[in-house]
Amino acid sequence: MSVRASPTAIVAGAGAIGAIALLWSAPFLWMVVASLRPDSAGSLDIASLMPSWPPSWANFRLAWESADFLLNYWNTLMVVAGTLTVQLVTMSLAGYAFARLRFRGRDLIFYLFLLQLMIVPPVLIVPNLKTVTRLGIYDTLWGVMAPYWASAFGTFLMRQTFLGIPRDFEDAAEIDGCTLLQTLRYVLLPLAKPALIAFGIVSVVAHWNEFLWPLMVIDSPSHRTLTLGLASFVSSGEGDAEWGLIAAGTLIVSLPLFAGFIAFQRQFINSFVMSGIK
Amino acid sequence: MTALSRITLTAVGVATLLSASVAATAKTSIDFYFPVPVQGALAREMTRIVKEFNDASPDIEVVPAYTGSYDETRLKTQAAVEAGKPPAVTLMSANFVQEFVISGEIEAIDDLLTENGGDPKTFLDDFWPALRGNATASGKIYAIPFQNSTPLVYINVDHFKEAGLDPAKPPATWTELADAAKKLTKRDGDKITRYGFEMPGSYDYLGWLTQAFTMSNGGQFFNVSAPGEVYYDQPSTRGAVQFLHDLVFTHKVMPEGVIDPNQTSSDFFAGKASMVLLSTGSLSFIRNGAKSPYTVAFVPRNVRNAVPIGGASLIVFKGITPEQRKAAWKFVTYMTSAETLGSWSRFTGYFAPRKSSYDLPEMKAFVAEHPDALIAVKQLEFAQPWLSTYNVVAVRKAIEDQVQAVISGKKQADEAVRDAQKNADEILRPYNEKIAHVSGL
Repeated sequence: MSVRASPTAIVAGAGAIGAIALLWSAPFLWMVVASLRPDSAGSLDIASLMPSWPPSWANFRLAWESADFLLNYWNTLMVVAGTLTVQLVTMSLAGYAFARLRFRGRDLIFYLFLLQLMIVPPVLIVPNLKTVTRLGIYDTLWGVMAPYWASAFGTFLMRQTFLGIPRDFEDAAEIDGCTLLQTLRYVLLPLAKPALIAFGIVSVVAHWNEFLWPLMVIDSPSHRTLTLGLASFVSSGEGDAEWGLIAAGTLIVSLPLFAGFIAFQRQFINSFVMSGIK
Repeated sequence: MTALSRITLTAVGVATLLSASVAATAKTSIDFYFPVPVQGALAREMTRIVKEFNDASPDIEVVPAYTGSYDETRLKTQAAVEAGKPPAVTLMSANFVQEFVISGEIEAIDDLLTENGGDPKTFLDDFWPALRGNATASGKIYAIPFQNSTPLVYINVDHFKEAGLDPAKPPATWTELADAAKKLTKRDGDKITRYGFEMPGSYDYLGWLTQAFTMSNGGQFFNVSAPGEVYYDQPSTRGAVQFLHDLVFTHKVMPEGVIDPNQTSSDFFAGKASMVLLSTGSLSFIRNGAKSPYTVAFVPRNVRNAVPIGGASLIVFKGITPEQRKAAWKFVTYMTSAETLGSWSRFTGYFAPRKSSYDLPEMKAFVAEHPDALIAVKQLEFAQPWLSTYNVVAVRKAIEDQVQAVISGKKQADEAVRDAQKNADEILRPYNEKIAHVSGL
């Protein structure tokens, strides 16, 4: 720590970091450039990173008109929020039960629960769809959310997190007269915040980007999520890529996520740093 | 607890609202699933066509549901049927129809025709003969062709002239194709800067194109009347796979590895590939996007001119209400009229499956302006049904995986077709077991 880096080392380090950052952001930069390129379908320089001048908003206009994006945003937001809210509740309770409560067959049930992680989701499409239909939530956003309400990964994560918290906290809470749920709510969950946030990020990104399951459940255009709305005008199988349009549509879809991460980046990092327990 | 009851309340509220609105309008609502196999403009056009029908039919509401690629559409339809929510109508890849016939999930068009005063015997007469194989099974009609295609060679005219080739005389045989591709390929030391020939190697497309080469090599690829038999380990298929191998590794005129269709058309536009093999469904896209003159040509032959058809047909599902069934038929009739098929063809580049579409004045004017639109139709004379078997996607992937290995330099043609046959036979076994052992009858 006491060794001071020489100015050349700093410059070299910054240069290396810059180069790596450029490499990693190249696909994103290309997307921005391509989305602003006029008449991009057959243009020769579509692979180029050099922006064309003047930029054209035609791709964005066409993309925006091609799907009901406001409605799609709303639907995706509902799905993401609805999924995460229930997940946080179920995984905290289940994680606590597996970590702290004593009951017959606990570990066996836990391992059975973990087996879920090994099943490839597409295998479950038909059984899940049958359940969803029987529950009467086919072609609804509830149907999109329901299968994810009990997350094996989340439960595992919370169990491990709770196991890592010394029992002394709970003992102290108990002495102060906390009930079990109060202990969970006021003592354990605040300590588990980094795990909750980490899971939240994974869950939000996964469900924001999910395509296959919403495609299976949703019929009505009014219930389409962003990915379905996007795919309905950019997906192509027989050789025709309107790259500019695809780039513009993808930007429209991913922009809120980008904005969210940039806006809350500091908070995310702080929450990891400030939590009392590593 | 409160959260849960709130959710339940909301759900009940929404359900009540929904049922109220259905009762108020008293329209027959039917679901129509459709894939978007080509560019997004088609999805917009499809939505427009459906809206036109809805506006003209006050008692029917067709809900168009975009359902992904051809393969995803099949998956969603199958899942919806199994979940007890079949759509009324699906625009299904023409070669998947057979599976729904085997599983007994779709209506015979014969029955719908008879009920509505049509004649099943003459109904298909107006459709091109090459399309009939994939639309029928055991003598009955099960699907009505909607958009159809064949593979087509797209040629960069400037490159041809520059290489001393005559664009008016495109390569007609495999030898001519390889020779032309060699002249068209540009090299910079070991690096190839322009490929003479390129084609998509991704799933769905590759199986179709491999079938085209097999058929041009005199083969049949599969047994048109037996859904459990494919001819992968045959001289015709072997030769086709060998030819693809040679284009990549012997002549070095085709890129190594798996290329997707989007890149193929982009490379053609960018002048990085002089000849590309793509669907006729791409014709409008190429016409609108090409910066330099292009021309189109038949798939070259080794033994004979022959190609598989491609595209999609409309099928009607069982398990819907009688009112929905009636509405579905009305919708299908509208969708497959000579006028709708003709306008869809002009918009997309697919050829119209009805011969009478080409007698319409709009179509005559269009063809006069774009003579290349007729090449696909002319090639129809040599077209035959598309691979269509029990569990067809897996059977198709059995050969596609092997051909991908060959064009990536991981396998030789002999071994590839042998393995493809072995894997396909395994996939087809459940069906074949059923018809091979009939002693229980």
